[in-house]
Amino acid sequence: MAEIYPIGGGKGGVGKSFITASLGALIAKWGKKVVLIDLDLGASNLHTLLGMNSPKIGLNSFLNKTVKNLESAAVPTMIPNLFLISSFHCYMEIANLFYAQKLKIIDSIKTLPFDYILLDLGPGTNFNTLDFFLTSKEGILICTPEPTSIENSFRFIKTVYFRKLKQMMKKNSFDSVFKNTSSDLNRPGINPPDIIEVVLKHDPEKEEFLRNTLSKFKFKIIFNQFRNNVDPTLGDQFENVCNRHFYSIFQFLGNISYDSRIHDAIFSKILYIHKYPHTQSAADLKKIAAQIMNKIPSASFAKDML
Amino acid sequence: MKKFDGLNYYEILKIPMSSSYFEIKRAYKDALSLYNEDSIVTYSLFSKEERDKIIENIENAFSTLTDDPKRAAYDQMLVDSGQVETLIPSREKQYASTPLSSMHTSVNENHLFSRVKEKLLTENVKTLSDEILLKERLSGDDLKKLRKAVGVKIQEIQYITKIRASVLKAIEENRFEELPPDTYLRGFLRSYAKILQINPQKVVDGYSKTISLAKKTNVLDPK
Repeated sequence: MAEIYPIGGGKGGVGKSFITASLGALIAKWGKKVVLIDLDLGASNLHTLLGMNSPKIGLNSFLNKTVKNLESAAVPTMIPNLFLISSFHCYMEIANLFYAQKLKIIDSIKTLPFDYILLDLGPGTNFNTLDFFLTSKEGILICTPEPTSIENSFRFIKTVYFRKLKQMMKKNSFDSVFKNTSSDLNRPGINPPDIIEVVLKHDPEKEEFLRNTLSKFKFKIIFNQFRNNVDPTLGDQFENVCNRHFYSIFQFLGNISYDSRIHDAIFSKILYIHKYPHTQSAADLKKIAAQIMNKIPSASFAKDML
Repeated sequence: MKKFDGLNYYEILKIPMSSSYFEIKRAYKDALSLYNEDSIVTYSLFSKEERDKIIENIENAFSTLTDDPKRAAYDQMLVDSGQVETLIPSREKQYASTPLSSMHTSVNENHLFSRVKEKLLTENVKTLSDEILLKERLSGDDLKKLRKAVGVKIQEIQYITKIRASVLKAIEENRFEELPPDTYLRGFLRSYAKILQINPQKVVDGYSKTISLAKKTNVLDPK
């Protein structure tokens, strides 16, 4: 079974696409078959980060049925083992995907024959982003060590919960409970995760079930654009607070140092880890890729990777 | 959102029941820095009421666990109510020999601050402090008098400023030859003045003048 990692996290410009491309390249280098899916619909540019011209085949071919399945929409990149499903050539209003199309994409993602599937999500907390994030039980949250980004990350987690609870309620005929509680939910001052507390009041029997479902989620956290003057324990603090106050498992994967050369690399259309393999940021990315693959980075491993 | 409901004091501070005073103190400081309103991580996560409640829980945990009799009673309660299995017998030894054991009752900076503030509002302390601050030169005796008047112990200043009690005493007893180099001394005097809530610059200037006068007299009149 493929390991699916949606990569999201509230704020725009925190480096979701950059990290998706870098991690994908590193994992592929380790011998795994990886596909990156650009789900930042309407603003896709993952191909540029990978140094490709916009591929003609992609999500568009899948949606208009010019290819027979989603797998055939994946095009090889210049990196062996690494494939891309681009959404660059999708129709202009793709950002407002039809619900049926979305379900079709999500179902197909789950059956893709790859070792790792990384979903590059768009910013914000719209339904598409949330539903793609909920494709898997594990997701990666990208954050920068700034108040704005941390704020948005919490918002993102809460909205993911809210979306999940709504889905579950529909499936399990909690509809009436939800309707009864939704008036409470619109009251100012109620945080979305408090919905659990609110639902409990109406239906304590479901408490266990809701808590269990949420506790099966795993959020992996990466702090990007980490500068020297920032408290290095921030990630651990964030993990600590989330594990304490939310209902799922949170794991801090590490910081990625800020490096202005990342912008140079994007300009030159060469993947940063290939252009500058011996930098701190590249080492940080390698460490994180190794953690995702549950490998302890060793000297030989780091050498093999690049 | 989960709060601290149902967590015992050890769980709130995230420490094992066998923790020493030193470990409790460190956990307490970590918790406060994580949950204070300026924390980049939590400021947006809680409302003011929620935060106040959390801080109150942390303060209660700390004040109970750092007070031996209270802690013993609390541990017993945990056992009696079935929340933990048994007490850990070796703990007594552990927290008897911690580096800060001389200061078992901790100092709460906020409490100290409001205590001094209150004192400074009373008529006679106010007169005394005005009198002292009007002087051109300030001696250690002046500072000591003022410190006693606002009811602050040397140990409390040591606890908050981390300046050794011996240095603080040397300052108050005008033992100039034992004082640290000027740059440090000025910083120390400033911290000292801040705790007594008097103008730090006046204290630094006044005390420096006393020192230079003493040096002059020493040169003119060597023993």
